[in-house]
Amino acid sequence: MTDTPPKALAAKALLPTGLRDLLPPDAEHEAQVVGRLLKEFHRHGYERVKPPLVEFEEGLLSGSAASLANQTFRIMDPVSQRMMGVRSDMTPQVARIATTRLRKAPRPLRLSYAGQVLRVKGSSLRQERQFGQVGVELIGPDRADADAEIILLAASALSSVGAKGISIDLTVPTLVPAVARALSLSDDDYARLRAALDHRDAAALAEAAGPHASLFLSILGASGPAPAAVERLSAVDMPDVAKAARQELADVVRLIAAAAPGLSVTIDPVEMRGFEYQTGVSFTIFARGVRGELGRGGRYRTGGADPVGEPATGFTLYTDTVLRALPGPSPVKRVLLPLGTDYADAQALRAQGWHTVAAMAVASDLAAEAKRLSCSHLLTADGPAPV
Amino acid sequence: MMSPAANDLLVLALPKGRILDEVRPLLHHVGIVPEADFDNPKSRALKFDTNLPHVKIIRVRSFDVATFVAFGAAHLGVCGSDVLMEFDYPELYTPLDLGIGKCRIAVAEPVDLSASDDPSRWSHVRVATKYPDITRRHFAARGVQAECIKLNGAMELAPNLGLCSRIVDLVSTGTTLKANGLVEIEHIADISSRLVVNRAAFKTRHGEIQGWIDRFQEAIGNAG
Repeated sequence: MTDTPPKALAAKALLPTGLRDLLPPDAEHEAQVVGRLLKEFHRHGYERVKPPLVEFEEGLLSGSAASLANQTFRIMDPVSQRMMGVRSDMTPQVARIATTRLRKAPRPLRLSYAGQVLRVKGSSLRQERQFGQVGVELIGPDRADADAEIILLAASALSSVGAKGISIDLTVPTLVPAVARALSLSDDDYARLRAALDHRDAAALAEAAGPHASLFLSILGASGPAPAAVERLSAVDMPDVAKAARQELADVVRLIAAAAPGLSVTIDPVEMRGFEYQTGVSFTIFARGVRGELGRGGRYRTGGADPVGEPATGFTLYTDTVLRALPGPSPVKRVLLPLGTDYADAQALRAQGWHTVAAMAVASDLAAEAKRLSCSHLLTADGPAPV
Repeated sequence: MMSPAANDLLVLALPKGRILDEVRPLLHHVGIVPEADFDNPKSRALKFDTNLPHVKIIRVRSFDVATFVAFGAAHLGVCGSDVLMEFDYPELYTPLDLGIGKCRIAVAEPVDLSASDDPSRWSHVRVATKYPDITRRHFAARGVQAECIKLNGAMELAPNLGLCSRIVDLVSTGTTLKANGLVEIEHIADISSRLVVNRAAFKTRHGEIQGWIDRFQEAIGNAG
């Protein structure tokens, strides 16, 4: 079984941690899936932008993107003598485009993107340091219809590539902080409360929330399949300041249920991790039986706290996880053309959808040659014949 | 908006050893009966059928329970809060304290050293432990740098043989420490076993997983 390459080749083959080569047929499969997702975005009126791989550090890591600083590779630009960063997330780049070069473009502005990002460290679930992002941003409107449009688009794009068992988990990451502020929790208590909620640890929650334990336990309990959980959340007696956030969530759930009654939607009002910069309804996409998140998104403001920013919402799908939720590449019709096959005949086959592979030597057993080159068919006098 | 029928495979990860005996009554209460081989100490099997066709049990080390569940290879598990403190996997939910496997994690040192030791003067300590992360955090929180020597067992030997002066380990009765001439000098945390749940499974199979959490909750009530 072991087929060890010579030492010199092995040294050349070894890649840095978290980086890998994609080979046939996986590289083609990934490209096709990304293409189909983008096509679905395009059909919904989203137009593609393509930011560069590297930008000046100040721009790349400004505002809410500052949290990406420790995940960003830096390089010195020998030309401008300024520090540059390799993107570790494309969302801030698209928001930057919207607020700068496209500031005069009519709103609502619908943009899509696809590209690779590079991170300093992998996470425990995703060891890859380079992976693909495909997503959209909807900039301008600040209403539940925009949130619903984005969530429905994520679901329909994933179903267009054949993903099964998709489940969307909705949250409003501003709800718990609003409740905590209304109750004037100390920073320490709030930190312990957050840690308990992040792990859904009821015992730790009861301890951290003290006299307010039953309130937070009932918010924690209002999670699960959407209509029922939204009702439970509506029944919770919570401070007035948090009611707006709760209403936003209920509105979006209602719109999604009306548009896509078959879509599996859950809510989890205590889900906040990774949504620190989100200002409204946010969501995570899971697929039954698939490890990790297929994507996430939500409402934010371009430019972060900057008053010139605009309301926006969007999502990013992670191509590596999306691919895990899909069946593998489907076999293609690939036909071996014996040496000397007429060019026009080959062209005609390609026009019919065949992938053609031209033999480069005279072979005595053409069927065997076809199999050796992973062809499903061999071109005979009667046309392509399966091998 | 309901997810499809809940007869996909459900894997429950349980820790080997002492805790397993305490988990058995809970399993009985929630209605999971493992196959006979599960109780055969000579069995080499790692994966076991149960009375429920879609529920399987795997028996692994406590540290590995957390890993299997975090990566979604198992959906539910039982492991000590020591393991959860050490790894802090964001993909793990810990909805229930099962109230079993109770002990504490503590710093210990030789009795004669403790007589003259003044912890407030420490800037650096060398510690043998199975928990380098907990140890580093504990000492860093009071401004002391901890150099950890990772051991997987028999921590109590380290100070006696001059590997280091101090250890961080689980203590239940304190007899092992005493037998090795050690004394507990600092309490780090109380430990008990938790029900752990994979986050993606909780989101995508909510009714089913919440059902198991509720049953374990009842079982704790009944057992207590």
